[in-house]
Order: sequence, then structure tokens, then C-alpha cells
Amino acid sequence: MQPDPTSPLLSSEGLVREFELPGGGLFSRKKSLRAVSDVSFFIGRREVLGLVGESGSGKTTIGRLVMRLLPPTRGRILFDGIDLTNLSGGALRSHRRRFQMVFQDPYASLNPRMRVREIVEEPLIVHGIGSGKAERRERVAHLLERVGLSSRDMERLPREFSGGGRQRIGIARAIACGPDLLVADEPIASLDLSMGAQIINLFSSLVESEGMSLLFISHDIPVVRYLSDRVVVLYRGSVVESGPTGQVFASPRHPYTRLLTEGSLPSEPVASGEIPSRHSPPDSVGSQEAGLCAFLPRCGDSLPECRTSPPIRYSDGKGGREALCHLLRGESDWLPLHPSSQGSPSDVPIAASR
Amino acid sequence: MGGEETLLRVEDLTVALETREGTIEPVKEVSFSVERGEAVGLVGESGSGKTLTGLSLLGLFPPGAKPPEGRILFEGSDLLSLSPSRLREIRGQKISMVFQEPQSALNPVLTVFTQMEEIYKSHTSLPSSDVRERILGRLREAGLPDPLTVSRSYPHQLSGGMRQRVMIAMALALDPLLVIADEPTTALDPTVALQILALLSRIRKSSGQSLLFISHDLSHVRRVSDRVLLMYAGRIVEEANSAIFFSAGPRHPYGRALLASRPEGATLTRKDGPLSAIGGQVPPLWDLPPGCAFAPRCERADDLCRFTRPSWQTKGEGRVFCHHPVDTPMGAPVHAA
Repeated sequence: MQPDPTSPLLSSEGLVREFELPGGGLFSRKKSLRAVSDVSFFIGRREVLGLVGESGSGKTTIGRLVMRLLPPTRGRILFDGIDLTNLSGGALRSHRRRFQMVFQDPYASLNPRMRVREIVEEPLIVHGIGSGKAERRERVAHLLERVGLSSRDMERLPREFSGGGRQRIGIARAIACGPDLLVADEPIASLDLSMGAQIINLFSSLVESEGMSLLFISHDIPVVRYLSDRVVVLYRGSVVESGPTGQVFASPRHPYTRLLTEGSLPSEPVASGEIPSRHSPPDSVGSQEAGLCAFLPRCGDSLPECRTSPPIRYSDGKGGREALCHLLRGESDWLPLHPSSQGSPSDVPIAASR
Repeated sequence: MGGEETLLRVEDLTVALETREGTIEPVKEVSFSVERGEAVGLVGESGSGKTLTGLSLLGLFPPGAKPPEGRILFEGSDLLSLSPSRLREIRGQKISMVFQEPQSALNPVLTVFTQMEEIYKSHTSLPSSDVRERILGRLREAGLPDPLTVSRSYPHQLSGGMRQRVMIAMALALDPLLVIADEPTTALDPTVALQILALLSRIRKSSGQSLLFISHDLSHVRRVSDRVLLMYAGRIVEEANSAIFFSAGPRHPYGRALLASRPEGATLTRKDGPLSAIGGQVPPLWDLPPGCAFAPRCERADDLCRFTRPSWQTKGEGRVFCHHPVDTPMGAPVHAA
């Protein structure tokens, strides 16, 4: 089966992931937290998609769903036209070499007892790449040089490297099988500035010269702006805005995106209140359960209907931009998008732990 | 007590540590001052010595540290030669600290109220009713909308941003003259970090405290500081007015390169070329080159830099520890063709 080269490499359709919260039991209903709520996006070939959000936005969960490290509660993930959602075991493993992950913490994601050669060689052995030891070793040497290390590093241990060096080892492991898609979750968050720039440049060259696609998960707006072609902005598990990076950040349409891109030092707190969390649940859990906009408690631009009806997803048509916000009603180029897929009140059981 | 003298003056502070690799000096000949009401940003990457410098001001030194050299003059008296009890008095009452991770700096088994009460009990003889009023007042000043509920909460019941606000309320409890904030925004989400920066600036402006803001985040330092100190491998390598540092650009090639390694505020994308990353990495402190510590990574370095230690070059309000400082204003900050 020859996949269509013009179709997206990966697309997610209506992804939902719920986590059961502790508590509940005999007489009370188990409560669950909806970490990812009706999330749809796609990643084109040779494209960098930035996934932006703060803690609790669901961005890490989405990365894990895409990697099939977690099964979705609802929705599907198509990789190159293949529905990964219901694959498991060997069937899933045969596709795994095509999408690989780079983790946030280069200290925790490498086995401290394994030598660099073994770490990078392991995926080659698992996926049966390279016919013998010598050939694999040659490939490892090549991979290390590709990520800016040296073949002399092969017999060293992770602890002998700085954070940036370890992240390079992680990237060498991820690209060992020549994947089509890399998923990188905050790959530079724990690195020093000068190291971060080197790693960003490395990702950039993997996309430009090896033709990989990249799902770049980060809360670092300037870096996402530099690196990604398109961006998806998440807030409390929902996509609040998406579109071509330049346009979204130059003229954000959702108040939350505007807040994220705020450039000047405000004399007063930028948004009132905190990001709701398990321990500081949103001001009105009731509004969450009614499917109202999750950003409402912090929004400075809210309209009367924001308090009474769920937000509507608008699209600018061919421009490829979308935003989930009542404020776009009546804007000339923006039209409401498939209202049938809007979450109905009973469909949004976000609950807090207390 | 004179109001005019410099609040804090650090002179040639050197902290040496015994390690397996030998004696290292994570803080080396560090000199700077903080005036009353001034906000000074101390910038550097990990291992640059910025946190240790901040801790030294509180008389806190890591295990294995040799007696520090130099002087730390606070309101004219040398903190390094004070008795432990005098030092304890100053620490807390006149100098306080906001830490990077409020979750590990707060006591998890005590309520916010109890922890703040302890500060007042150990440093003042205020009656309980006044203490209660002050605690609630400080929490409100720190931007917590419901001080009563927060004061009754345990740290784990609060979000990261709320915990950092509690830390700030605690740091301000006794109206200190100097607040040292060590990476106070690093563990926070970006929009919450902006709120905390705004809060720090607002409180400082209204109460006239001095602030030493330690961070690796250049954009945050830019937002709060009047003056910037840049550290590399244990030394301050540049001191500059913050506005000049960030507009005309740092004069030290390291500062210049650091600023250029972030796509900050620019509209360039990866299609415009790679970020101008600094090659190599910070040398280990037990194996510093004989000349300038940045020389192995510096594009401007020559043999003078490699073998001779730089000296301070002063210009206007600023100074730079470099043989060949950059004197052209910053051009395209991100681009590297």
C-alpha cells in the first residue's frame, strides 16, 4: 500500500484522554479528570508542529498518546493512513520504528549502566536493522557524528556527559531507525541556554536535511516560534487556537494565546488568578461541568455568552487557522466549524478532586 | 545608620571547595554592589557560581568550603566576620531569600500561617493579634486574593504560583532591606512567571527594597533589573546598565553570544538559518584555561586571551573582564548566516 504523499503524516481526530482520580468508591461516583478533550490536529511531512501550553494543558499527555505510550479514551490517531489506535503487540511494534520520542529529562531517560554504543544500538537490534555487529557499530558511529558527538564516545557512560551531551545521545537513539516522526517533549527545558541553541539547531537540521517531521512540545514561546511551521495552543486539555506559527503569534485571536505572547512588562499581574490545578480547582467547577470555556476565570475579554454557552470553534477557512472562542463571532473571515462536534454539556465531565 | 551608604558591597569574594578533582573556586574574586532601592540581576548558566554567590550573602556555604576570602559589607559591617548570632539577626530581618522551588523551601507539614508566625515569633515581640494582621496583610500584598484561606492551607494545597507568592510574602515578612531571589520564576509556567516578576517589581517600587535577582533567563532579568552582572565559570565577567546591556548589547563576547543564542522577540524562523549557538561547553572548574575561561569557545580569542588572564576594562557605568570587548552595537541579534 503506497500512502498518499500529500496526506498528513500524522493526524489525531477527537482525542480524549481521561484519568481516574483517587477517591470515590462505594457510594460516590468515581471522579475523573479529562486531561485531553477533543483534540484534533495533523502534522505534515517535513513539518514541525509546535504544541504549546502550560502545566496541566495536556501537552505531555498528547505526546504520550501520539507515541502510543497511552491509549486514548476516545478518538483516533492515524499515522501515514494507518489507524494506530487499536494496534497492539507486534503489529504496533512494526510501526514503532517510524515514530520515536526524545524525552525532557536527559538524565532520567538514559540507562546509567549502559554505554553510549549500547544505548544507540538497542533500537537497531530490536527492529532488526543492520546484519551484524560490525555493521551496527558503523551505523552507531555515524549516528553519533550526526548528532554532534564523536565515534570515540561509544564506550563512554551517560554520566560522563553534560545535559546537552546526554540529550544528543537521546536524539541519536531516537533517530537510529530512521523514523519519519520525532516527538520531542520539552527537550531543551533542562538545558543551559548555549546548549539549548545547539539542540534546536540539531532538530532543525534533522527536519531540513533528513526530511523528518517533528512534534515539538514546549512552553517556550520564542523557541516554538523559531522552530515550528504550525502551532497548536492548548489550555486545560483543549486546543484553543491553531494555525501557521507566524500568523498565530503575530495576531493571536484567542485571549490565552495573546497572554502567552505578551511582550511587555505589565505593571499589574497579566491575568488574574492561577492556572487551575487539582489543588486549586477552577473558580467555578460548575462552569467546567457545563462545558464553558476553561479560560473564562482568567479572561479579561469575556462576553456575556461566555458564561452561558460553550465556546465555539471558528475557522478562517483556507488560511488554516482555528480558534475556540466566542469573541470571533461576527468576524468577517471567520466561520463556525462543524458545530456537531462541539462538546455538549453532558459530554464534558471535568471534575476536581475535592 | 546612614541612609546614603551603599547597602551591599561585595569585595573580592572567593569561595573555594575541596573536591575529588582538587580545589575548585566556584566563586572567584567576585566584586559588586547593590544600592538602596536598586534591582540587580545576576545572570549565568548552571555552574557559573551565581547561586553560590547569592547564598554567600546569607553566610551559607556548601559542605567542604574553605573559609571564604574577601569581604561582604552590608550596611558597612562585614558579614564574613560577624558572630553567628548577629548574622542570624541580619539574615531574615534585613536580608531574605526567595528560593527557586517553593515546594522544597516550604515546610510541608505546617500551614502557611504557622510558618509565617514562626518568623515573627523568632524575630519580633509583636502580640499575636498584630502578627495575624501582618501575615494576612503580607499575603494580600503578594497578590493572593483570599489570604485567610491561603494562610490555613498546607503548601501541597496550593499551586506553584501561589506557593511562590507565599514564599515572597514570607521573604517580605520583616521588611528586609535586601531580597535575594534565586531563580524565583524557573519552576513556574510562563504566564504565572510574568505575574511573579510583575509582583516583585511592584513590591520593590512601593517599599524601596533592594533586589538581587538571580536567573539564567535573560528575558526575565531584563524585565526586573536596573543593572546586570554576568557570570561565567565563577567570575563576574561583565557589569552593565540593564537597558544598555539588552539594547546596545553586552560587551563581553560571552554575553553577546548568549543573547544571540535565544530567538527572543525576533521573527526569524529556522528557514532563516541556525541559531548562533555557542560551541563547546563551560570548562570544568578544576581544569580552567590559564587565560580567559571563555577563550576556548570565543570567536574573538587570540593567544593573548588563551594565555593571559584578562583585566577589567571600564567604560561609562559598565565594566568588562575581557581583552577584546565588543564595542559595536548589537546588529541582527539572532542571525547566523
